[in-house]
Order: sequence, then C-alpha cells, then structure tokens
Amino acid sequence: MSTLHLLSHSPFTDTRLASCLRLLGPDDGVMLTGDAVYAGSDAQLTAPLQQATMRLYALREDVHARGLTPGAAVSVIDYPEFVELTLAYDKVNSWI
Amino acid sequence: MAKSMLIISRQAPWSGPGAREALDMALAGGAYDLPLAMLFLDDGVFQLVGAQQPAAVEQKNLGANLQALPLFGVDELYACALSLAQRGLDPATLALPALALDDQGLRELLAHHDLVVTL
Amino acid sequence: MKFAIAVYAPAHSPASRRALQFARALLAQGHELIRVFFYQDGVHSASANVVTPQDEIDVAGQWRSLVSEHGIDAVVCIAAALRRGVLNEEEARRYERPAANLPQPWQLSGLGQLHEAAQQADRLVSFGGM
Repeated sequence: MSTLHLLSHSPFTDTRLASCLRLLGPDDGVMLTGDAVYAGSDAQLTAPLQQATMRLYALREDVHARGLTPGAAVSVIDYPEFVELTLAYDKVNSWI
Repeated sequence: MAKSMLIISRQAPWSGPGAREALDMALAGGAYDLPLAMLFLDDGVFQLVGAQQPAAVEQKNLGANLQALPLFGVDELYACALSLAQRGLDPATLALPALALDDQGLRELLAHHDLVVTL
Repeated sequence: MKFAIAVYAPAHSPASRRALQFARALLAQGHELIRVFFYQDGVHSASANVVTPQDEIDVAGQWRSLVSEHGIDAVVCIAAALRRGVLNEEEARRYERPAANLPQPWQLSGLGQLHEAAQQADRLVSFGGM
C-alpha cells in the first residue's frame, strides 16, 4: 500500500525529512507544506526522491509566501489538488 | 474487517506529553481491539531504555505504562535499528520487547498497515 | 469520499489554518468530513478565549464557524484538553476551575472517537507541528 507523507518542518533544523526519506517506499509520495517547502529548492535534499521516481509535491501558498522557486521535480499544487492527492495514495502519514 | 494502524512514536520520554499521548493512542486502540502496532523511531527509542528515574523530574513512570501495551492487545512493538545505533542503544538491552528493524523492514512495516499515525 | 481530520496544533500555528483550508477544500469538492478531532496542542484550536488583532485571522473562530455551518462532528480529546487547561462548563464545575473556555459546538471525548473516525473514513489526514 502506498503512503503520502506530509511534512511541515524545515529540513535544515529538523530530522523529520531525513527519517521520512529512510522510510519511503517505492510507491510513496511526499507533500511539502509549511517550512518543509524549503526542501523543494535544495537539489541535494530532493535527489533521493527524484532517483526513486517518487512523487514530490509542494503547497503553492507556502512556496509563494516564502518567495521560493522549487526545482523541476517538485509539483506545486493548491488545496483542491492536495485533497485529490490524499485520495491518490492509500494512506496519509503526517510527520507532525 | 478493522483497519490496521501503525503508531510511530518519535518523542523522547521526558520532553513533554508527546510520548505519553502516543502511548495513550495505542492503549485506546487496543482497548477497542483494533489491530495496532507501535514503532519507536528517532528520539522515541529513548522511551525503551531501562532503569530510568522519571520521579527525579516529577514525572510518572512511562516505562511502566509501556509495559501495559501487550495487556491491551498491542504486542507488535518495533524499534528503528538505525535510531538505536545512532543513540548508542543496544537492542538486546531494551526494557520493552521491541523488535529492531532496519530501514527496509520499516518500509515494509509502513506499507503493510492500513493507517499510519506519527506522533 | 469520507475524510477525518486530526489537528495537533494550536490556532496560531500555520498547521491549524492549513487543516482548516484542507477541510474547506474537501467540502467544496463534495466530499464528506465525518469528524474533526483535536489532540495534543490541537485542543487550543478549540479555545473560545483566543483573541486576535483586527488585522489578523481568527483561526479558532473560523473553525467554530466551519463546524457549525456544516454540522461537522467536532471532538476535542478530554485528557489532552484538561492537561492544557481547555475546559467546558461541565469540566470547569467538576474541577472547580474559574472559567470554561471550550464552547459549543466542540464536544469533549476520548481517543476512541479518533480511532472510530480513522476506521470509518476513507482517509485520515492529520495536521500538526508548524
């Protein structure tokens, strides 16, 4: 069964993203929200996600608020797509 | 048929109510006979260390309550092998019978359950 | 589809507002929100006593409005609430506390309600942290 991992902490001050990447299955996705969107602009952090053809998403309002330009591997989405995304995976695991 | 739930406990035992509230969620699910497993990850593995003295910081004994998990039907307990190793903890000396899993084992654990909650 | 939402962050946390926005989006798409469950610091998102400046959003107030408008089952974990000083009239009387700050439509209940929602919903989505 596939999992959508939901993150909201900055990867630079917090270990949640690192732990999430270790536990990521081949069919899983990662949704960056809040300060976790800072990970989207860092190619080094997101490389493992790209390598395994995992799906990487970021919430548009958080990207926009922070003036970021996420890498090409990141799909920037709004809330309606966020809702649909939670249904596209079998379950959602939030790293609160 | 009931959905199975994996509860991932990531908080160290004496840094606030997080560890206890993750445990409470497991005990509540167990009380309803739900299929539950618990994984201790990151600083959550510190909950498994024996001979702790929480009374020194006027806290209740979380370890004693963790021991109650099998009584509530939650006997699938796991710990992240890497988290243990990073913190210098020997899986053989844990106060709780948690099975140490490597990353691949953890991935399978997550994939296997219908629900995952990380606290 | 049926959703359940769990909130672990207080009203001033972006996570609480994000959960609210997610709830609005799923309802707008015609999905059902079978329960909202507030746990850990999320109990503060149900406080009646949050005061926000005129030029700031009132997330706690917006949660109350959303829950009332849509008749959503809105539950606050009693153990987490008591620990954090979020009490309804009944609990304030029981524990002889000077004030109640948990208004309607919020109900205090146990974690069994979260588990029930997780079992019944197609998706449980949790919001917490930042």
